[in-house]
Amino acid sequence: MSKVRKSFVTTLVLMLALSLSLSACGGKKEESTGTPEKPVELIWYTIGTPQKDVDRVMEEVSKYTKEKIGATVKMNMIDWGDYTQKMQVMTASGTPMDLMFTSSWAFDYVQNARKGAFLPIEDLLQKQGKGIVDTLDPAFLEGSKVDGHNYGVPANKELPAQSVWRFNKNLVDKYKLNLDNVGSLESLEPLLKTIKENEPGTYALAVDKTFNPIVPFDYIIENMPMAVKVGDKDLKVVNILETPEMKQTLATMHKYYKAGYIPTEAATLTSLSDVQATGKWLTDKATNQPFADNLWSQSLGYPVVSKAASPALIYNWSVMGSMQAISANSKYPEKAMEFLNLLNTDPVLRNMIDSGIEGVHYKKVGDDAMENLPESKNYDMPTFSLGNVMLTYRDKNDPENKWDEFKKFNDSGEKAPLLGFNFDPSKVTTEIAAVQNVKEEFWASLMTGTVDPDKFIPQATAKFKAAGLDKIIAEAQSQVDAWKATKK
Amino acid sequence: MKRIGGFFKDINKNKVLLLMALPATLWFLFFSYLPMAGVVIAFKEYRNSRDGFWASIVDSKWVGWDNFKFLFSTNDAYIITRNTLLYNIFFIIVGLVLAVTMAIILAEITNKKLAKVYQTGMFLPYFLSWVIVGYFVFSFLSFDKGMINQIGSWFGAEPTQWYTEKAYWPFIIILVFLWKSVGYNSVVYLAAIMGIDKSLYEAAMIDGASKWQQIRNITLPMLKPLMTILTLLAIGRIFYADFGLFYQVPRDSGALYSVTNVIDTYVYRGLKATGEIGMSTAAGLYQSVIGFTLVIVSNWIVRKWDKDNALF
Repeated sequence: MSKVRKSFVTTLVLMLALSLSLSACGGKKEESTGTPEKPVELIWYTIGTPQKDVDRVMEEVSKYTKEKIGATVKMNMIDWGDYTQKMQVMTASGTPMDLMFTSSWAFDYVQNARKGAFLPIEDLLQKQGKGIVDTLDPAFLEGSKVDGHNYGVPANKELPAQSVWRFNKNLVDKYKLNLDNVGSLESLEPLLKTIKENEPGTYALAVDKTFNPIVPFDYIIENMPMAVKVGDKDLKVVNILETPEMKQTLATMHKYYKAGYIPTEAATLTSLSDVQATGKWLTDKATNQPFADNLWSQSLGYPVVSKAASPALIYNWSVMGSMQAISANSKYPEKAMEFLNLLNTDPVLRNMIDSGIEGVHYKKVGDDAMENLPESKNYDMPTFSLGNVMLTYRDKNDPENKWDEFKKFNDSGEKAPLLGFNFDPSKVTTEIAAVQNVKEEFWASLMTGTVDPDKFIPQATAKFKAAGLDKIIAEAQSQVDAWKATKK
Repeated sequence: MKRIGGFFKDINKNKVLLLMALPATLWFLFFSYLPMAGVVIAFKEYRNSRDGFWASIVDSKWVGWDNFKFLFSTNDAYIITRNTLLYNIFFIIVGLVLAVTMAIILAEITNKKLAKVYQTGMFLPYFLSWVIVGYFVFSFLSFDKGMINQIGSWFGAEPTQWYTEKAYWPFIIILVFLWKSVGYNSVVYLAAIMGIDKSLYEAAMIDGASKWQQIRNITLPMLKPLMTILTLLAIGRIFYADFGLFYQVPRDSGALYSVTNVIDTYVYRGLKATGEIGMSTAAGLYQSVIGFTLVIVSNWIVRKWDKDNALF
């Protein structure tokens, strides 16, 4: 019996070894040979609710790209909520792909660049990506460098981020509310009071668990308590909960909460889409772009107006808000870059990807304007996620000077203090995992005003410290200092 | 050579049984044994390599026990371990008692049609996902629209903020868990009761045994092996908490963490920020090792006490 078992074991080991070496072979890079006659296939993963007509549109797209660059395109869409996790697993397990969406808020760009998910693309940009370098605001490529390398092509879109208070115009008109003095959180009070008294069952200040009040700070890691104050020349990293600005804002939030201006379940409310559908809200916080009011009014189905609540600043996260990267295991990195170049410079391709097939999904009205056809419900793509938005045709309701206004908006943005700095957490991963847990415990209830900050900020801070926040701050400070020194 | 012939003869003789075992064997081989090699990731700082998954594993840096540190780095370690263990011990004990009781009651119902109705009703929640159960619970506990606060208001009671009051949650969690799982387990026991030789009960009835005596002296002893096996298996999973139960049902409410944070939710929340595969593998390995040890130990205890009922 033992002999049999031995040979069996040997066979098994051989089989395993064979499968190992086979898969290792499979991972080898092939030379790209894309020509219009023998095109290569580019596999593209991008974010958004999967659309029925993706394959149909990609067939058309492939016909076009085959002629132009000798490549066809296979697009896979992954829904908003699943994108980060699925992409993390797929890149870690080496699933074949050439292009993928990445950003500061979904499938984290910096983190995954450091893990080796993307190919560094400086050389490719100089050779196959010339058009990108020429069209893109230099701040995009500069601001999206990680440890000195570019790993993704940012979409040409609005560059700074500006918070605004959005108002449900129906209610504003009904009560003749005066929005002239709106700005700070405190300035909202008389408006909220009117609504609370006259419109029972309406959220005066619509806030869900993801709400972050507006404070003039730039976070080291989004929504973690380490931050640098805007305008601080020394770039001192602080615990944001201990700053007077945050304390005062949270006190106001708690006052509003007690007064009933904020939904009672704000700290566990996952989305505001229900009240937005019914229009039972007065104001909420949003991020601005030129003509955003039109966009919001259109998607909500009733008029919305907004008032600036913060200056327009260029943050790391706004620069990295939407990017396309080339996978580290891409078989055809040059072709992939040629495709990205085309996507960011060629209006025909860009609009095909964005709006579908002309005459089926949309029709053109004028040179650079279009109108959706009923079929467009089968191909409704998130425009901002798919490269240069300034090439896309305007909606027929948008003003002529839409893209000029975008450029003006981009020029008006000032740099946030940490623009260009990327925190490397590898020395403090243990602490970050622990601090993250403490953050989840306190963040939502503090930020939504659900709990009394006088009582809970000290509690949270004590737990943060026990979890190692001071070590993270010290590490961040030394990295910030080193980065500051290189900038001089 | 004779031995090899004997081996094939063995195979030939048992081919039907072996064939029946084949799918499960293959399944375990591919999905349980083969991936076990992946535990090396727990000791590595996993970084993607251009040359695919295997190369990534080989090329990643060894970091020793660093990946395990985050599990024990704060005093949360105590809270999550306590919560995981206490809830699971409670689930095992109360779940066992309730499931067996329900099974006996169902078996005693003479109207078989009604028994089927009850059984189906109890069984149904098992098939619901935790997300849906979470919304069921929310419709009871919501502050302004929840059923409990509404009914309370008819009697002039002050509405309660259920999702921030942690005192109630150990009971809510246990209640919801039992509601969802007891039906399924009781069906397993019911099947075992159906398999008990009816002549035992007839003999007992002739001897004048009451219903209670029949249950105590026939049904329960006959169920003992099954109870032991299922309990042993449950003990093996005592370090695994049901993620959906502890994450979806309390709606991830921060104020409740001290009574709802368990190992699985802690790991999830911690790694959402860093996405380190090495650390999540480390957590999984830790749970498996503890679970394995507990099964071995409790099996050893069972064997000491009653050899026939031990798993192995």
